[in-house]
Amino acid sequence: MAKQTSYFPELKRNWWLKHPYFKKYMAREATVLPLVFFLVCLLVGLFSLLQGAESWQGWLRFMQNPLVIAVNALAFIASLFHAWTFFQLFPRVMPLRVGGRALPPNLMVLGQWFGVVVVMILAAWIFMRGL
Amino acid sequence: MMTKKLSIQRYLPEQGNAPYWQDFDVPFDDSTSILDALNYVKEELDGSLTYRWSCRMAICGSCGVMINNTPKLGCNSFLREYEGPVKIAPLAHFPVEKDLIVDMEPFLDHLAAVQPYLIDDSRLIDDNEEGTQTYKQTPAQMEKYKQFAGCINCGLCYSACPQFGLNPEFLGPAALTLAHRYNLDSRDQGKKQRMAQMSREEGVWSCTFVGFCSAVCPKNVDPAAAVNQGKVESAKDMLIGIFKG
Amino acid sequence: MNKGTSLNNDTSENMKRSDEPIWWGLFSAGGVCFAVFVPAAILFIALLIPAGIIAPEALSFDRARSMLFSLPGLIFIGVVICLPLFHAAHRIRHGLHDLKLGKEHLNKRVTYGGAALLSALALVGFAVGIL
Repeated sequence: MAKQTSYFPELKRNWWLKHPYFKKYMAREATVLPLVFFLVCLLVGLFSLLQGAESWQGWLRFMQNPLVIAVNALAFIASLFHAWTFFQLFPRVMPLRVGGRALPPNLMVLGQWFGVVVVMILAAWIFMRGL
Repeated sequence: MMTKKLSIQRYLPEQGNAPYWQDFDVPFDDSTSILDALNYVKEELDGSLTYRWSCRMAICGSCGVMINNTPKLGCNSFLREYEGPVKIAPLAHFPVEKDLIVDMEPFLDHLAAVQPYLIDDSRLIDDNEEGTQTYKQTPAQMEKYKQFAGCINCGLCYSACPQFGLNPEFLGPAALTLAHRYNLDSRDQGKKQRMAQMSREEGVWSCTFVGFCSAVCPKNVDPAAAVNQGKVESAKDMLIGIFKG
Repeated sequence: MNKGTSLNNDTSENMKRSDEPIWWGLFSAGGVCFAVFVPAAILFIALLIPAGIIAPEALSFDRARSMLFSLPGLIFIGVVICLPLFHAAHRIRHGLHDLKLGKEHLNKRVTYGGAALLSALALVGFAVGIL
C-alpha cells in the first residue's frame, strides 16, 4: 500500500514511552499486574482454608510478609487508579438518559465512587463486627 | 521580535535520502501559528519545504502535522504555546510522500468502507418521487448524532491512535465515528450494512480506549466515545443474532 | 460505488464477526468489580488485617470458613476473584499486542485460558468447602 518512494516508519514496541498520554494509558493497563498477585494470594488462601487450621495460620503469616504487604499496597493503589479511570470512561461508553435528559457525566462518576464507599462500609461491618 | 527554533523533519525521495531534521529560526509574536511559521520558512528560508494547507481557520483539516509528537492542526496551534524548540514532523502512522505530506489514501479508504452517507432504499422505489420529499427530523432526533457529526476529516485521530499505528487495517477513530453518526441518524436505514464492518476484528474491536484520539480532535467530536458506543451496539447485535438463531 | 480496496471485499473471511464481545463483556463486568469491590477486599484482607490494625481474629479459621463457604462467599468468589481474573486477562492480552509480544491467537488462549482455569479452581475449592 505504501508507494515505492514513500517512507513509512514501523511503530516500535517502545512507542508508549514517546508521549505522557501513552505512559498514563500503559499505567492504566498495568494496574492488572498487582491485581493478579492479589487474586493468586486469595486463591492460595482459599486452598489453605480447605487444608485445615494450621495451613490457614501459615497463609495469614504469609500475608504478613512485608514484601507481600508492599505488593498488595501497590494493588490497592492500582485498584483506586483503575477506578478513577474506569468511572470516567463509563458515561462516555454508556451515556444514560433519565426522563429524556442526558444524565451529567460528573453525576455518574460521583455515583460510582459512592458505590465504592458503600462497599468499604459493608466490608468494615463484615470484618469488624463482634470484635 | 523574538525568534524560535523550528526543527522540521525533511524527506526528499527524489534525492534518495532518508528523512533528516533541519533547523530554522523563525521570528514570531503572539499571533504566529505553526502554519504561519511554515509559510515563513518556505517564503524566506527554504522554498523546497513541502506541506499541505488551505483555509487557515481549522475547518478544511488539511494542515495536520505532529508538533512535539502530538498531532495538531498547524493553523490552530501557536508558537507562543511552546517553551523550547518546536519539533514538526509529518502525521504519524501514514506513509510519508515528501517532507510534511503524507498519503491520506488509507484513511479515505477506511472512511469509504463504512458507507458514511444516508442509506434509505425505501426512497428509491419511485424515480419520479426521489428528491421531492424532504426528511423530517426533530431537534431531539438530531441531538442524538450531532456531537459526532463535526468531523472535518483531518486525520489527527489516526495519528493519535497507537492501535492504527500497530495495525493499519484497523478502521480507526474517524471512520467508526462516522459509522456511529449515521447509525444514530433517524433518516438512515443502513445500520445493518455498517454493523458488519464495525463488528469485524478490525472494526470497533481493535480499539483499547487509549482515548488520545479524543484529546487531539480539533472539533471535540470525541471519537473514542463513539467507537466504544459502537462496541455496545456490536455486542447487542451479536446477542440479537444468537437469540434469533 | 465502493473502490476495490481490501476493505470492501465482502468475502466471508474478511467480514468475519469478531468473538470480542464475549471477552469485552467479561472485561467490562470484571472492570466494574475491580473498581467497586476489589479496593475494599485488598484494604481489609491484605492490608489492615495483616498489618494488625484490625485484630487478626477477624479472619480466624472458623470465621473465615463460615464466611467463605456460604452464599455470600460464592458471590465474593464471583465478583472479587473470577470476574477480575477475566478483566486482567483481557488487559494482559491487549497489553501484549501493544508491546508487540507473542502471537495473537496464542496470547488469547494463554490469557483467557489462565483466567478460566483459575476461576474453575476457585469454584472447585468452594464446592469442596461447602460439602
